[in-house]
Order: sequence, then structure tokens, then C-alpha cells
Amino acid sequence: MTQATNTDSNSNIRNGVKVDLIGLSRYYKDVAALKSMNLSASPGELIVLLGPSGCGKTTALRALAGLEVLDGGTVMIGSKDVTRLPASRRNIGMVFQSYSLFPNMTAKANVEFGLKVRKVSSSERSKRSAELLDLIGLSPQADRYPHQLSGGQQQRVALARALAIKPEVLLLDEPLSALDAKVRAQLRDEIRRIQLELGITTFFVTHDQEEALALADRIAVMRAGEIEQIDTPLSVYSQPTTEFVAEFVGKVNRLSGVIVSQDKVNVESIGSISYDSKNTPFQTGTNVQVLVRPEALGIMISDTGQWRLVSKSFLGASVKLNLTNPTGQKVVVELTTGEATLIEQDSQLSLFGKSDALLVQRA
Amino acid sequence: MVAVTTNVGRDGKEPGAANVLKLGKAFRYGILGLVGIFFIIPILASARFSFLGNNNTITISAYTQLFSTPQFWSTLFLSVKIGLGTVLLTLALLIPTVVWIHLRVPKLKRVFESISLLPLVIPSVVVTLGVITSFKSLPNIIMGTPVILALEYVILALPYSYRTFDSAVQAIDLKTLVDAGQSLGAGWIKLLRFVVLPNLRSGLLGAAILAFAFCLGEFAVASLLSFTTFPVFLVQVGQVAASQAVALSLIALLFTWMPLAVIIIIFGQRNASSKKKTVSLATTIEQEETTGIA
Repeated sequence: MTQATNTDSNSNIRNGVKVDLIGLSRYYKDVAALKSMNLSASPGELIVLLGPSGCGKTTALRALAGLEVLDGGTVMIGSKDVTRLPASRRNIGMVFQSYSLFPNMTAKANVEFGLKVRKVSSSERSKRSAELLDLIGLSPQADRYPHQLSGGQQQRVALARALAIKPEVLLLDEPLSALDAKVRAQLRDEIRRIQLELGITTFFVTHDQEEALALADRIAVMRAGEIEQIDTPLSVYSQPTTEFVAEFVGKVNRLSGVIVSQDKVNVESIGSISYDSKNTPFQTGTNVQVLVRPEALGIMISDTGQWRLVSKSFLGASVKLNLTNPTGQKVVVELTTGEATLIEQDSQLSLFGKSDALLVQRA
Repeated sequence: MVAVTTNVGRDGKEPGAANVLKLGKAFRYGILGLVGIFFIIPILASARFSFLGNNNTITISAYTQLFSTPQFWSTLFLSVKIGLGTVLLTLALLIPTVVWIHLRVPKLKRVFESISLLPLVIPSVVVTLGVITSFKSLPNIIMGTPVILALEYVILALPYSYRTFDSAVQAIDLKTLVDAGQSLGAGWIKLLRFVVLPNLRSGLLGAAILAFAFCLGEFAVASLLSFTTFPVFLVQVGQVAASQAVALSLIALLFTWMPLAVIIIIFGQRNASSKKKTVSLATTIEQEETTGIA
């Protein structure tokens, strides 16, 4: 059964296309929502647009959908320039943040809507909607109305509806933000599974860094209408190019230090930490600011240790420790739960760099 | 006062909570009963009066005389025609305007809402003369015919129809629904037909009913423009034959109420959630009509 459906959908959905956003600009009065933004997605790629609210990520997505008027720039889908094409003729599937199912139609009718508009025969429509409802695992709920479905189910139907028209590009605008944590993680994995299965080029907007890291082929971190960095989740997390990216994706400690050699920096009250000097060579003796992830620091119990434990919070597999020293410095360290049990409230602790500093920049 | 009593009862902390709750309930039903009596007594009294003949005999002659008056049918027909025309014009004006405001210029919602209330503030005579002056240049097909009355009524009924439709639009996430429809390939006509209008059914119905009921009860403007509509006929009859006038107002009540009931039953069954809204709305209109005519 599943086998048959899979081959069916594969034959129905075209392979992903390339998408290019070139110099997109959008101004609201004097405020720039998009400042000449450039982004290229390769066929079948899932790109996450990540950033705080107001960074322009949703504007970019809506511009790609044709729902936002641009002040400048070009949108290319495949080799077609669609900049001037209205949303209804772009052949794009979109899932929205708020529940956007048509309340007057059943789940099945919602999925079939795009096909009905395209004048597809009703037998063809039924076949396609049955296929898609099966893909999202909601066949038994086909005849329910949106208000009879849970939030997660509604977003699944919205996904099926977006996919029914065999779109060239799939756009997801914070589709999980209204759901509770467990459903969110589940649906996130499901979206990725379906996206990989269909090989459809996909843009996913979110402000949740965990979601971005889990889903993306590449993450575009946006700030004030521009892409600050675009790279694989691993690179964005472990080699951020700017302070903003380092702080937005994951937690960081901000420390001051002095460069002591080509790839070592001496950090106050901690000691020597290694760093990757390839991109940012500094002269010895330069005063710098060092950004270090909580898990890149290690703790030793020693009589000469200056650091004291302030509080612990248990995160499951790891424990977050808040430390302070007599000069008032504060540092967050993340250890595995096993390691953390050894640290007690009155232990004298010293810190050391376990792995590379995330980012070193001139103070 | 009622609300306060009920709240105390729900908390269940007061020693006599159950008693207080009962008292609150009795109080509410008491008020409801009083209001009901207030509305039903005049209708019953009118009904009794309309069946009263000479020497306290019971007769239906008031009704038979009315039904055999040709003017009864012609004025009723005219009023229904004007009513339907007003409803069509109102919807043709409201649907695109309100949808456009909500999608494109949501900041102006308040402004348009206040504009829609103006007919309540401006005396209807002024509105009447304004409409006539504005459409003076139009061909006689509008000026000399009841069409002008329909134009007047569209404006005069706007405070009711606009608010009803506007709040229905407010209740749905119009922008997201339209965005979703567009991304699925629907143009404006299909969007309106399959997505927007079906989800605004209760609002459309409410606006239509209010506009229609307004037309069937309006006297001043029709009289001013010397059209003998149903309410004008009613007043004319009242000046010569009291019992016929009362019979007529009861018939008017029935004629307004029946189509409303039919519409509500048909639409109410399809959409259970909007049912409550429309029923309560109809009750209000019915009451307004009663007090207006009697």
C-alpha cells in the first residue's frame, strides 16, 4: 500500500527546480524590510530563513509567493522570471502560520481546492486527494471540517493542500509556531520526510533556531532585511561569521582576552583557548573579544580554582551550570549529566577551553 | 446585577451559594418574562381589536376588506420590490468595499465604520434631499421611479447592514484565507465565490435581512417622495378605518417575519454556528417592526 503510494507520488511530482532571489528590496515608508537580498536555492534543497521578528524573512517568503509587492529585484523559479506574475499563476504551494484552511470545506475539499480551480476532473481530484491524505496519515479524517481537527492535523491538511497542485516550490511560513512542543517536533520531522521524498525545493521561515538546525540543508540567518550568513546548520552553529549569528543560533559566553600566539588566545580567569585563525588573523598582544559556546568549556575541581557554582539547570542529557568568580564575571558551561554530578555548590572550580572558540574579534 | 449574583453562585464559596444561583436564575427568567409580556401584550391587544366587530361580535371583515382592496396588493408588491432592490444594491456595495478595506487599507476600518453611522446622525430628510440633488442629472428611469427610493434605503439602512457585514468579516482571517486561495491558483472571482462569500454567509444574511426589514417599515422618506409603499398605505388606511389599520400592521408583521423565518431555517441548518447569531438578530428586527408599526 505505502509502496504503491510512494511510486505514485514520485511520478506525479516534478523534480525540484532552482530558485534565485536577486536583489530583492522592499521598503515600508523609510524602513527597509528587505535590503537588496540575494539567495539561490539548488533543486530539491530545503532552505530555512532564520531570524528575529522583523528581520524580513516572512517578507522574502511572501515576495517569492507573489503575495508581496517588491520595490526592486527579480524572482526566478527555474529559468523563468516570475517577478511580475501574480501569486495565483506562480504554481507555488504555501503553508501559513495561522490556520488557513477554508472553514467551509472538509479536509478533502481543502486539499482538492487548487485542483478544482485548475479545472481538474473530479475523479482525478479524488484520486490525488486520497493519495495526499494518505501521505500525511489523515485518510480517516477526510470528511471532517477544519474545526473538527486538531491544530497539528490542520497544518498537515494545509501541507497536503499545498502539495496537491504539484507546486514547483514549497513555502512554509512558521507552520509549527502555533503547535505545542511535542506535535511540533513530530510534524517537523514529517515535513522533512515528505520534502525529501518528493525532492521539492523548499523555503521554511522560522525564528526557532532548534527547528532551523534540525530541518535545513542550509540556513540563511537574516537580520534587518539582509542575509547575515548562509551555510549548512553545522557551519552556522560552529563557524558563525558574525557575533549576531553566534548569539542567535545557540548560546554563547562573551569573554575578553589577549592574543598570545597565532592560534591561541588567553582569556581572563580561564586561560588559553584555541581559535581558528584562518579567517581572522590577529597580531600577538591584540585585545580581543572571545565568543565561546557553553559546551566548549570544561570544568576542573582544584584548590586554586576561582570559580563558584551559582545555579544548575537540568536539561536531560546535559546540565547547564551558571558560574561566577570574585571579580564578578559570569559564565555558562554545559556538561553532560554524568560530569555535572561531580560539581557541588561549594566546590572550588577552574575553567579551561575544551574546544575552539567560536569567534574572536577585535575588542 | 444579574451577572454579579451569578458569579457569586458559580464560585460556590458563599454559604448559600446554591440559593443565590437559583435566585439569579429566577431573576433572569423574570426579566425575560416581563420583556416578553411587554412585547406580546400590544400584539395580542391589536389582534383582539382587529377581530372586533360592532356590539363586541367577532368578525374577520377587517381582513377580508383589506385583501379585496387592490391597493393592499400593489403597495405590498411595491415595498417587496424596493426591499429586494435595496438588498441587491446594499450587497453589491458592501461586499467589495468591506473586503477591500479589510485587505488593503485595514487602518481605515474605523473611518469607514464612522461614515456608515452617519445616516443615524443626519436627519433622514437631509439624506433624502441629498440623494435627490446628487442624482438629479440621472435619467428619469431612476428619478421618477421607485429606484430612487431603493437608493435612499441603501444609505439609510447602512448603519445596520454595514456593521453586521463588517463584524462577520472581522470574525474570519480574511487575509490569510485570500493569500492561501491565491497561492493555490484562484483568481478573484473564484476566491469570492468559493472562499470569501461562503464564509461570510451569516454576515451577508444579516445585512440582507436588516436592509429588507428596514424597507418594509420605512414611512417618512417614502411619504416625502410621494410613493405609496406598504407603510404609507398603512398610515392612509389608519386615518379612515382603525380596525383595518391594526389588521394591516399584524399582516405586515407576519409578512416580515415569515420570510425571515424561512431564510433562517434554510441557512441555519447548513451552518450551526451562525444559527444563533441570525436567530437573535431576527428577533430584534421583529421587535423593532412591531413597535414601529403599532
